[in-house]
Amino acid sequence: MSSMMWTCFAVFLLWMRSGGCTEKANTSDLIEYTAADFIDKLQSGKTMFVYFQHQVTPTISLFLAELEMSADALQDYGVMVGKVNCNKEQVQPYCTGERALHTAFLFRAGKEFSGFDLDTVFDVNSIVAEVLFAILREEIRYVHTDADLLAMEKTARGKKDIVLGYVRSLGTQEHRSMMATAYVYGSKYQFILITGGPVLEHLGVDERSVSSQVWFLHCRVRSVFTTQTSSERCHLTRMRKPLTTLNLHSFLQLMEAPLVSEVYDDPSSVQAPHFPYQQTPQVFLFSRPATEHLDRDTATTLAWRLRGLALLMLVHRQSPAVKTPDEYNVAYRLPEKSLELKYLTLHDLDEVLELFTYQEKEEEEEKYDAYDEENDAIFELLDDEIALSVYENRGNMLDMDSITQLTSENFHAAVAQSSLTVVLFYLKWDAVSEAVLGSFIEVAEKLADEQESKADVDSTVQMCAVNCVEWTDLCAAQSGGSLPIPFQPITAFPSVLLLRPQESAQHYKGMLGTQALHRFILMSRPASPALLSTQEEVISFLQEVPLPGYKPDRVLGVFETQTHTGVSPFTEAAKSLRGEVLTGLLTDGLAEKWAAEHTVDLPAVFVFPSWRTHPATLSVSTSAEGLLTHINAALLHPLPELTVENLPSFLSLGKALLILFVGEEEDEIGQRQNQALVEEMRGLVESGGWRMEPYLACWIHLGRTPAGMSVLGLYLNSMPPLPALVLTHLPSGDEIYQYPQNTPIMASSVLQWLQRIEDSTETPAGTLGENSWPPAVDFHDFLKIMDTQEADSHTPEEEEEEEEVDEEEANMEEDLVVEEETDSSSSSPAPDNNPNTHSEL
Amino acid sequence: MDSSLPCFLLFILIGCLKCSSENENNTRHHDYCVLGAGPAGLQMGYFLSKAKRDYVILERNSGPGSFFNKYPRHRKLISINKIHTGRQNPEFNLRHDWNSLLSDKPDLLFKRVSNEFYPPADAYPLYLSMFVEELGLKVRYGVDIGRIRAVQSDTGRRYILTDQHTSDYTCSVLLVATGLWVPQKIEFVGSDLVEGYESISTNPEDYKNQAILILGKGNSAFETAQSILEKASHVHMLSPSPVRLAWQTHYVGDLRAVNNDLLDTYQLKSLDGLVEARLEKIVIVQRKEQAKKRSDGKKKEKKKLYLSLNKYIQNQEEKNSSEVTGEDLPSFYSDNFSMRKPYDRVIRCLGFKFNFSVFDSSACPPHSDNAKGRLPGVTAWYEGTGTPGLFVLGTAAHSRDYRTSAGGFIHGFRYTARAVHRVLEQRYHNNRWPSTKLLTTQLLSWVLKRIGEASGPYQMFEVLADVILLRGSQCEYVEEFPIQALPQFSSLSGHEISNHGLIVVVLQYGKKKNVDYLGRNRAHSDWSKANESNFLHPVLYYYDKLPTEEEMKLRPKGWALPRPKAIHHIVEDFLTEWDGPVSHIQPLRRFLEHCVKTDLRNFYAESCFRFSLTYRKPPLFCQQGYLKQQGVVDSSQLWQHFDDAGLMPSEHDSGTSGEDSAFPNYLAQAGASVSSGLKLDF
Repeated sequence: MSSMMWTCFAVFLLWMRSGGCTEKANTSDLIEYTAADFIDKLQSGKTMFVYFQHQVTPTISLFLAELEMSADALQDYGVMVGKVNCNKEQVQPYCTGERALHTAFLFRAGKEFSGFDLDTVFDVNSIVAEVLFAILREEIRYVHTDADLLAMEKTARGKKDIVLGYVRSLGTQEHRSMMATAYVYGSKYQFILITGGPVLEHLGVDERSVSSQVWFLHCRVRSVFTTQTSSERCHLTRMRKPLTTLNLHSFLQLMEAPLVSEVYDDPSSVQAPHFPYQQTPQVFLFSRPATEHLDRDTATTLAWRLRGLALLMLVHRQSPAVKTPDEYNVAYRLPEKSLELKYLTLHDLDEVLELFTYQEKEEEEEKYDAYDEENDAIFELLDDEIALSVYENRGNMLDMDSITQLTSENFHAAVAQSSLTVVLFYLKWDAVSEAVLGSFIEVAEKLADEQESKADVDSTVQMCAVNCVEWTDLCAAQSGGSLPIPFQPITAFPSVLLLRPQESAQHYKGMLGTQALHRFILMSRPASPALLSTQEEVISFLQEVPLPGYKPDRVLGVFETQTHTGVSPFTEAAKSLRGEVLTGLLTDGLAEKWAAEHTVDLPAVFVFPSWRTHPATLSVSTSAEGLLTHINAALLHPLPELTVENLPSFLSLGKALLILFVGEEEDEIGQRQNQALVEEMRGLVESGGWRMEPYLACWIHLGRTPAGMSVLGLYLNSMPPLPALVLTHLPSGDEIYQYPQNTPIMASSVLQWLQRIEDSTETPAGTLGENSWPPAVDFHDFLKIMDTQEADSHTPEEEEEEEEVDEEEANMEEDLVVEEETDSSSSSPAPDNNPNTHSEL
Repeated sequence: MDSSLPCFLLFILIGCLKCSSENENNTRHHDYCVLGAGPAGLQMGYFLSKAKRDYVILERNSGPGSFFNKYPRHRKLISINKIHTGRQNPEFNLRHDWNSLLSDKPDLLFKRVSNEFYPPADAYPLYLSMFVEELGLKVRYGVDIGRIRAVQSDTGRRYILTDQHTSDYTCSVLLVATGLWVPQKIEFVGSDLVEGYESISTNPEDYKNQAILILGKGNSAFETAQSILEKASHVHMLSPSPVRLAWQTHYVGDLRAVNNDLLDTYQLKSLDGLVEARLEKIVIVQRKEQAKKRSDGKKKEKKKLYLSLNKYIQNQEEKNSSEVTGEDLPSFYSDNFSMRKPYDRVIRCLGFKFNFSVFDSSACPPHSDNAKGRLPGVTAWYEGTGTPGLFVLGTAAHSRDYRTSAGGFIHGFRYTARAVHRVLEQRYHNNRWPSTKLLTTQLLSWVLKRIGEASGPYQMFEVLADVILLRGSQCEYVEEFPIQALPQFSSLSGHEISNHGLIVVVLQYGKKKNVDYLGRNRAHSDWSKANESNFLHPVLYYYDKLPTEEEMKLRPKGWALPRPKAIHHIVEDFLTEWDGPVSHIQPLRRFLEHCVKTDLRNFYAESCFRFSLTYRKPPLFCQQGYLKQQGVVDSSQLWQHFDDAGLMPSEHDSGTSGEDSAFPNYLAQAGASVSSGLKLDF
């Protein structure tokens, strides 16, 4: 009851404000304070907005007129508005100085609270907006990036809904409406202002075309429709009417309205919505007892989509009061059309939606609207991001021309005809397969372009795909003919295999993306190891760049003889590194010569990581696995830049991550700063020695790895200024620590900070998410539905069975003697006990 | 020396001959004896041969599949031979090939011997001969086993089979695939006046202008009716229950549309008709026609057969069926009795029964509870109840799914034979049922693959089903297990059930009765109402532990399995292709997620990157893909972007590495010398 009163008051207040201010301006004079008045009011702690007038210029008089008009508006918010005439008496320090000439001041709690340049407070709207904004400074948040917004949503989840406003320019009527509403509802909702850019993008809105907008983020109650890619986001509803105080108010009211109301009356006798929803259309859906659960689901789905547009009522048909004919499944009532109800028969939810959005489009003519709508619908459809992107692309057939379709019949011939055949095994219904098929085709096209320019027939790579829905025998490696299939049955889809004639298949185990696959294919073209027999070959091995602009890792094995015991594990290791690392083998005379030249003891394995100036020498292992471990360790960067692609190889080390987040450099200075920071980190790694052993120092460049942005936002629940240094993934716990923002990042102080963390004297800034990943969406519980249906239909079913018996008897009566059949049926009533003689056995 | 060697060899040869001839006369032992070289016996023979088991197939006739030399009498098989499916997938194609047997030879299919949709019966023995020959199956023809008994010895139970020459075959496991060939008869007064399907003339001319009564309303009855329809004056069909149409019951043993011309002529009132009565209560009596004296003085005597009922027969004890009076006939009491007119012939088409007579009491399986006891009773894994080591295969094993599934037909029992073989391999050779180990993230794909192509669960719906053993991040997929044996799953298959539970993937028809299969609302397309599907559709049952025998016994009527913890219906599909992202895949994924209790969604590498950094462990898909460096990159992103990401990191490091004390300075020299020549960035 009290909340009702409160709402009424709020409405009244808002109504007064939006409607009344202009007319009233003429009647009230601007209060002019004497110095004593001013001091008195100031000391009483009242909130005052005061201009200290020195002179009268046309600009100033214009401002004063506006100020006068705002007095009344601001009064409702407990702000007194006035001026002090400095020509009459001086109030220091405001009556002197250049600044005071162009500034109006806000006083609060006996102090100067804020000053406003007259350029920003130029009319009633801007004065009210800016003053309220200043007062509400603590409550309204500014958000610049999507990560910030995400962090806010995370904080608000379960507690408060969020009202998100985008105001195209400050000091406008829209800005004022937003502030006035925030003043009234500030304690109820979290108000956020956005400045456009990335956040608008997240909301699916084009900044250039959009007018001021408000969105409502349903964070308080966990939505059942957490169907977006990650369930961290709150469901959002866009206010579709123009941003005015009244519209905003009724929009917020609507957000509080029950999603679906259930009624047992005929729609015609359901009252039109009353205060405060009297301007809102009503939509009626109908439910039957048998499908009640589903009907309610449907209604809820629709209600979410109609939220802010209409109120949804679910009418229970089983109630005798409901007279609506069965042929209709939807009814609606528009506010302006008195109480007239319209009945319709519609086939899907979109049609209902169109009833209301169509009108709206007429009203507003918003270009992006259709896009937005469609997007929403799809989001509610598929909650798997890969499946969704494949589904969205379903209209475009993949162009398979650049790849060869392999079948059980042409497989052997195709593989024999090229030195390297890359095969993708895919299932057409598997979303990941389809997504990878897209990348695979891109690689094929790129390779075809490259090969065309080179015309190098020998090194032609053949790109093929096997549709494992059809060619199951091939995918199961079942050889129909005489030739064996050179791979094991494929049980994981998609799989990419590299096939060479007369060799067993190599599984591609890298990232399933265009760039990684393309690079792997080019890198795996040279033999592995390449047998180097001349000085030129050695030079070209060390120089070779299989992919323009890419610096490969290289490994060179140097052995006295080809029959050295170390050669075979090296060759084996080289085989398994094929595609990732270039490997070369140097033996015999040339090896000895090379060793002598470089004063190395043979045998030796040299690792040339792409990032390093000096090669690392490894002793020769007796096993390929041992050698591989050493090679991989030598290839690891001591201070890697984490990227989406390389993170897994570093995470697998199991160390705590000390991550430096640096922003995108806008200029050379920024670039140099970033480089200096990375250098400092390198210094830390080197100077830290064993103390740094438990940590993997690394950095993320937010420009190249934008995904890092939301990572940082989630770590700290807000977006800190960059650079930021964070310690996470500690083996001991889930805490996340942030290096003090105001302390410069220096090796020594970072070490001290790490020490403090070890000593548990630092407070964590956040924690890692939980380990468990429960299903994001509940399953459709058929068992429950079947139970309900069975309960509903229990009595009718029994009747049905009786009927059946009757029918059988009737049949018999028709064609044979009555008594006879009654006899037989009574002696064996259940049909099952009376098995029939006929059969096709 | 030279001469003694051949002598020695000769001695050995004689010895061998002697011992083998001893075998010939007395006993031969095999681990497995298969009785009958019909489709079921040969199918089992193939599996035994492939597993390199010691087996023999015994056949009393001179060739395989001799039943088909005589039956069906009118020589048309009604098992469909659909060659063109538009698909290459051999497994899928078996869904529409009802005649081929299973083998690993992709071209050993029935279509090689016939391309007719309803093939001629003669093609079948031809196909079976080919099957025997190409797979080199060991069949002994002309061995007529007349007696089978079981003996218990120290080494276990053995079966002893005695043939017409009193030779014995002993075996540890006996696989009875003798089919059903003894004509089913019913005793009633006058049953001796009835001709049998097995011996009637198949020449329609012989029925010209005759009134025919056929006992039975199954496919053999209708097949007979169909062949004489054009010549006979009346064809009436009599059996206790109304006709069941296969296209309504989804049971291929019920009347197939290919044979149902008589339904037309009955409904269009063309002198044919169907009647219901219990056959035990009928009486067939013979009355001489009231013969008129013809001009030549000879009496033309024609015997006519009348149908009566037990209760109308006066003085039943004394009466012989050929001496009846009008008072013995129903028309005497009811002048519009439907079958008041006499018949020229009464033909019995009541099907066949299992030949129990060769079994000694020590080896005789019991009569089944259903099918009027015409079939042997077997366990859910087709072992005779009370006869361990004796398994029944083929049509004779139909008591398990009588009137419900396809276990009595080639396209069904070829799969049950495989299931039995797997039971044998586990029980006698410790070879667990074959299974596929999968990452749980691949499970969805495999379920979709199986429901999209698997022929076993499709033909043997509600009988054979795939069992998925959940094991957390991994699972094991076991195909085509006989689900009635689910309580014994662990011992039969050799696979343990973990505390993660199991999922059974069953294909089943809707349970709703009185569906108008050609009417409106016969099919659903809304996935959320999939449980109301009428046509064959996949249903997944999730259990946290194996159901017990008790639960299996007390399961709700009409259910293939006891009540599960959760159930999922995939909505019936017009094309039986369950691969729609919205209607089929997503709801299925959500169900699987519920069973494995984890998020099974796919994520692009970028999302996995985010999850990996902000959670201790990312979702399963990221764990099993991305963290193993096999993330899926969104191909919609631009090339440029990748190239940047790939190139940039290395640039920062050039020339900045400090002295590396771990490396002696000669390497620096080496680098220097190379780089001077190569301009390498050493």
